[in-house]
Amino acid sequence: MLRILHDTNYDFIRWWKVMAGITIAFIVLGLGSLAIKAPNWSIEFTGGTLMQLNFTQPPDVGEIRSTLDAAGIHGAEIQQFGTPRDFTVRAQNAEQVAAQSKGAATIANTIESVLKKKFGENAVRVVRKEGVGPRVGQELKRGAIIAILLSFLITLVYLSIRFEWRFALAAVIATSHDVFTTVAFLKLMHLEISLTVVAGLLTVLGYSLNDTIIIFDRVRENLRKGRKESLYDTLNRSINETLPRSVMTHVTTFAATLALLLFAGEVIRPFAWVMSFGIVTGTFSSMYVAAPILLWIERKWPRKTGTRTSSSTATPTSRTRRSTATATR
Amino acid sequence: MNLKWRIAIILGLTAASIWALFPRTVVERVKRNGVFVYDTVRRVPLKRGLDLQGGMHLALDIDESKGAVADKSKAIDNALKVVRNRIDEFGVSEPVVQKAGNDRIIVELPGIDDPQRAQDVVQKSAFLEFQITDKTQALEKALPRINALLKDTKVNVASSATATTKDTATQGLQSLFTADTTKKTDSTKTDTTAAAGSTVGGPGAFSKLIQPGQLPGQYIVAQSDVDLVSQYLSMPAVQAALPPGKVVRWASDTLSFGGRIYRPLYVLDAKPIITGQYLTDAKPNTSPTEGNLVEFTMNNEGARRFRTETGRHIKDYMAIVLDQRVMTAPIIQGAIGAHGQITMGGQDLQAAQDLALVLRAGSLPVPLKVADVTQIGASLGKDSIHKGITAGVIAIVLVVVVMLGYYRFSGALAVAALSLYILYTLAALAGFSAVLTLPGLAGFVLSIGIAVDANVLIFERIREELAHGKTVRTAIDEGFRHAMSAIVDSNVSTALTAAVLYQYGTGPVRGFAVTLLAGIAASMITAIFVVRTFYMIWLNRSRSAQTSLSI
Repeated sequence: MLRILHDTNYDFIRWWKVMAGITIAFIVLGLGSLAIKAPNWSIEFTGGTLMQLNFTQPPDVGEIRSTLDAAGIHGAEIQQFGTPRDFTVRAQNAEQVAAQSKGAATIANTIESVLKKKFGENAVRVVRKEGVGPRVGQELKRGAIIAILLSFLITLVYLSIRFEWRFALAAVIATSHDVFTTVAFLKLMHLEISLTVVAGLLTVLGYSLNDTIIIFDRVRENLRKGRKESLYDTLNRSINETLPRSVMTHVTTFAATLALLLFAGEVIRPFAWVMSFGIVTGTFSSMYVAAPILLWIERKWPRKTGTRTSSSTATPTSRTRRSTATATR
Repeated sequence: MNLKWRIAIILGLTAASIWALFPRTVVERVKRNGVFVYDTVRRVPLKRGLDLQGGMHLALDIDESKGAVADKSKAIDNALKVVRNRIDEFGVSEPVVQKAGNDRIIVELPGIDDPQRAQDVVQKSAFLEFQITDKTQALEKALPRINALLKDTKVNVASSATATTKDTATQGLQSLFTADTTKKTDSTKTDTTAAAGSTVGGPGAFSKLIQPGQLPGQYIVAQSDVDLVSQYLSMPAVQAALPPGKVVRWASDTLSFGGRIYRPLYVLDAKPIITGQYLTDAKPNTSPTEGNLVEFTMNNEGARRFRTETGRHIKDYMAIVLDQRVMTAPIIQGAIGAHGQITMGGQDLQAAQDLALVLRAGSLPVPLKVADVTQIGASLGKDSIHKGITAGVIAIVLVVVVMLGYYRFSGALAVAALSLYILYTLAALAGFSAVLTLPGLAGFVLSIGIAVDANVLIFERIREELAHGKTVRTAIDEGFRHAMSAIVDSNVSTALTAAVLYQYGTGPVRGFAVTLLAGIAASMITAIFVVRTFYMIWLNRSRSAQTSLSI
């Protein structure tokens, strides 16, 4: 039997202050730079025009830019997309978005016609074209925020029922931590926040929650056993006991995301980045956010002696268990 | 549960999944030699989203720039019917036309190869009016007043420019000298919206741009001046000065005289003698003398009105106005009944076909504007599928290697279950006729990684039980029992997140949520039920194995 990290007894939680320092620094760095410069919203959110163009000959970017400028489309972002013959053009400044409110295809049509005039009718092919009016973007932004908040609320309720409110709160705080780190990551990587990336973010939240629940499930079980140990030790024990599972799952999932990152192409790459980072932050937050927060909640609002086990579990056997020592250390 | 029953259920599920995914014959519209025909095709019943097969997505809002619409929801409902009719006639395989929210129409046209034309067909108001051209020279009478108004504007534009640049300032001064000095500049009254520039204005600002045409109520404007005249005409002050009871409309086509291009401008009686609401049929045709045209037929009531009205206007000119553009203005030779025609000018037969189509489907009750458009080339879709499948295969290979290398025999059971997982998930997607999108494909690849999580949880549990000295059979039982709560809780909370995503997501994200949900359900079935059954088969078959388990 091949075993890794079997029967370990690391004191994971001891390092929580260091870890908290690292993650807070990361979040402050990311959100700080967010305060300096707004995030890179995709045109789905800001409104505007995105075109993916395929040229028969590698074109000169300056030439594309000057052609667009001559047509009155200023400040468009022109980027190579994969091969030297593929480019994306993004026109999403306020003036261009305002022009979209008359009809979302106007700017895209202008870009297409001027580039075809410049490079030749058959030298440019429009592979993808997206035009979004300003209103749609606002609705999407609101939808994404509602989706995240709603998923938190539902999780809170579900975990309160299945575990108890302390666990639910700790799990949700750990998950919101992942929202912040992922947003910071997006910012530091200069990734564009698109709908797909938001979907990736929500998957990360689900994944991180998954991981927290696996550990909390073990805590719940160990609490039921009624050992004479502090919650601190129970948490450490639970993290150690679930360690082989954590490593195996993260390895396989990471393998899958890595495959996406490397082979699934340019369109899905930001999503794959978010997922890869999500696996890291999800694992981290389960150990170093969820667990210390649970300890903190316990210290702040201690369970009444004798009710802890019955409130934390739903099984009839638990009522016979003795309560364990206080959770603080 | 009895082992035989378990096996039967697994075989049943597998058979059902294969059946759900088996290529079948479906009737769909396919394009053959440029024409859409209904035909039967054999294919795997998995719907691909626009991002995977290419196509066009349109979101249409009510255009309120020309006046507010009172009951948006009702207007959208009516517009929806018209758009649906048009799309059905346009010929697209599996189009989606639906209402989104209260005031938006979503149109999805997979595999479309002429997006611009499709957009025109959807958006064209197709509001047909028949208006008699003005024969009272009403515009000529109003010209002096319009000229005077525009002169004011010019003075205003020029004087405001003096403050900004020196270059325009001198020009502004010049025009101040040439301007009518009896009129004082009144910057609060005059319209500053005209981006007229410095080359126009002055005496006869308007009348010098237009000249009478060949028939009453027709004027011609040089093509280079069309924008300027349009701007003038849209100014509120000018509109107020236009002759009452008349409307001004541009022609849809241009004329050319002696190498110069002109666009006719018509002054028409505001009240149409009849509108397109009585139209029952329209079809394209080509006449040797008039080129491409659309022939239309009116219903009885329409025909009766048309006959009386045209009877009253013999020898007058009747403009046929489509969406506020004059298509043609023939002379009325005698009373016209149920049949008429619209000549297309120089436009091709395709345009005549499209016009006939939109006239048949009816006019849009409200103007629509495109709020959102996405258009994806078929090649990009193919490329995405190809890359998605490559990534998927590599992900599967990696997962299989990790599982086999670490859990050996049990890993092999998990891999067998994983292949059933893939089958079930795809079948579920086909069964719910979910749309497979690129994020969905990514979600699926990801879910392969996550799907083994349940197996890992169970296997680690079995290992723990074995370490506690339990027999193989008990260890397996206990392992599954203990892992259950973690598997259920974690999967249910992920499923809840996916449900929220489905509720609030659109298009591709929705596809992603559906894949995730199908994946969670399938992974719970395979990990908990299928792998357990595999163990049971194994325990039953080999007595010796009960002393040791390769895990």
